[in-house]
Amino acid sequence: MKTIAKSRINEALAILAKESKLLVPMKVNGISKYAPWGSEGTIQFEEVNTLLPPKDTLFPHTEKMYSYKIANQEITELNIHDDSAPQILFGVRPCDMQSIKCMDDVFLTKSYVDDFYKNKREKLITICIGCTKTAPTCFCDSMGVDPSRHEAADVQMYDLGDSYGIEAQTEAGQTVVNKLQELMEDQAGDPTAVSCTLKVDASGIPAKLSTMFEHPIWKEISRKCIGCGTCTYLCPTCYCFDMETTNNGNEGYRFRCWDSCMFSEYSRMAGGHNPRPSKNERIRNRFLHKLEFFNERYGKNLCVGCGRCIAKCPVNVDITLFIDKLKEVAADEPV
Amino acid sequence: MSQCKCENPLVPSVVTVLKIVEETSDIKTFHVSTKDGKKPFTPMPGQLGMFSLLTVGEGMFSVTAQGENHLEFAIKKCGMLTDALHEIKPGQMMGVRGPYGNGFPLDLCKGKDMLFIGGGIGLAPVRSLIKYCFEQREDFGKIDIIYGARSMNDLCFKEDLFENWPKERDTNVHVTVDSGDENCPCHIGFVPAFLEEINPNPQGKIVVLCGPPIMIKFCLQSLTKMGFTDEQVITTLEMRMKCGIGKCGRCSIGSKYVCLDGPVFTMAELKHLPNEF
Repeated sequence: MKTIAKSRINEALAILAKESKLLVPMKVNGISKYAPWGSEGTIQFEEVNTLLPPKDTLFPHTEKMYSYKIANQEITELNIHDDSAPQILFGVRPCDMQSIKCMDDVFLTKSYVDDFYKNKREKLITICIGCTKTAPTCFCDSMGVDPSRHEAADVQMYDLGDSYGIEAQTEAGQTVVNKLQELMEDQAGDPTAVSCTLKVDASGIPAKLSTMFEHPIWKEISRKCIGCGTCTYLCPTCYCFDMETTNNGNEGYRFRCWDSCMFSEYSRMAGGHNPRPSKNERIRNRFLHKLEFFNERYGKNLCVGCGRCIAKCPVNVDITLFIDKLKEVAADEPV
Repeated sequence: MSQCKCENPLVPSVVTVLKIVEETSDIKTFHVSTKDGKKPFTPMPGQLGMFSLLTVGEGMFSVTAQGENHLEFAIKKCGMLTDALHEIKPGQMMGVRGPYGNGFPLDLCKGKDMLFIGGGIGLAPVRSLIKYCFEQREDFGKIDIIYGARSMNDLCFKEDLFENWPKERDTNVHVTVDSGDENCPCHIGFVPAFLEEINPNPQGKIVVLCGPPIMIKFCLQSLTKMGFTDEQVITTLEMRMKCGIGKCGRCSIGSKYVCLDGPVFTMAELKHLPNEF
């Protein structure tokens, strides 16, 4: 296997950062996330997944879409905004790699391609690193993700102790690996297999859920939810967005930003009708979307088992406990 | 179905308001065309357009009619954007993008007798198909239109209801109002009761139903009683929408997006979706 010694990883990063914005896992002001290499903070290659998911790399928290100018009642300018640029996501974990696959399904398939996403996606190189340890909240292998690698990454890295094993998995990945040629050695290496300690049996869940829309389980699990939306903001696959306008006199711009199905205004219509008026309907929609609806539409779960929502929910709503509970209850019986 | 072919399906193109028709005290119909006098896009009946005042925001509306060079949107005043829309004057420049959604299933309707049932602003989406039927008159059998509103003053598209449509061949227009005095020129009563009075024969008929939820609920009960099946009844749904292209998430019902897979569904299709509308 081709390897790079850990002692030379900074040289590799310097090469990668020459032509692209290079994002690496870092702890910045106490928050671990993907930040530009060289920014202030501590690099975290030896940790588990970051607290903030890498989804803003492709789907920014707030994204300008187009700007306009109006003069004498006439719309004189309408310019589409495109800030896409080459980016490398270095050290992305397999769970987050799976989340990028989910987002690709949403933004690039089913009748319409979202250009804002596509422009960024086409310029992104993903360098995945296999996990050698897991957090107590990690359960990706229960959701069909292999914690040691992900086949969709452009480059796959393995932690071999003193060095990183490196394999290009796509043509774009090969181009990147070629740039690191001078740093690479040939070395026998066997990537450590790792498995999550948190396990959940998700088999048969979509089919079972399809009969449980009116089940009392929703009331029970939503009882403690405070509707804060933390789960949706930390979720690497939650992709719902809002579109709004910022207007300043005769000019302004339209932007989109992350939204949350946990908020009451999310589906409220003009005139006041809301198809999801209480947290019962909103929690039900979120869990069904993750585990049933997305599966029906795109053939995969919209939960990758990263465990962020479990770790950070202030009232301990836990999707793994929910799945356990689902297994126990009969579909047509009250809880 | 035709699709939005804009350079970017989330970005509107600029249109000018040619004409504004005051239908009722809270409903206006806006006629729009591109700056060089063309139709912004050609929707199929029942498809949607995202209509915007750039400085205020966007909203999704059904395209109620189209001409050679323009589109028409009938809009009820009921929120921030629609309040602002009701204040604009002809000549105003706006944004529009589309068409979105599936539109009415024309193949299912062709060769059939058509029964249109509308209530209030619910006639707006249905009108696009009614007009299509008259344009392609040979493709359809007998046409019945049942329409109701709260009062005479709340009836939309009066010229169509009382002048244009009754002149069409093999066509009956039945108008009712919830309340009125003895001088009221049309039937008085709620739409579902009026429907039962008319008692249409389900044989070879397709029903297109759109109106307030309470009207839909009771009309469905009446239709079932008369022997209509769920496959014969079509409706068009409303949900809050932002993107219009099945991405932003908010108009989902189960695994479907109303903006993309809808807004038109048969009652049979709706029975397979979670009961959330």
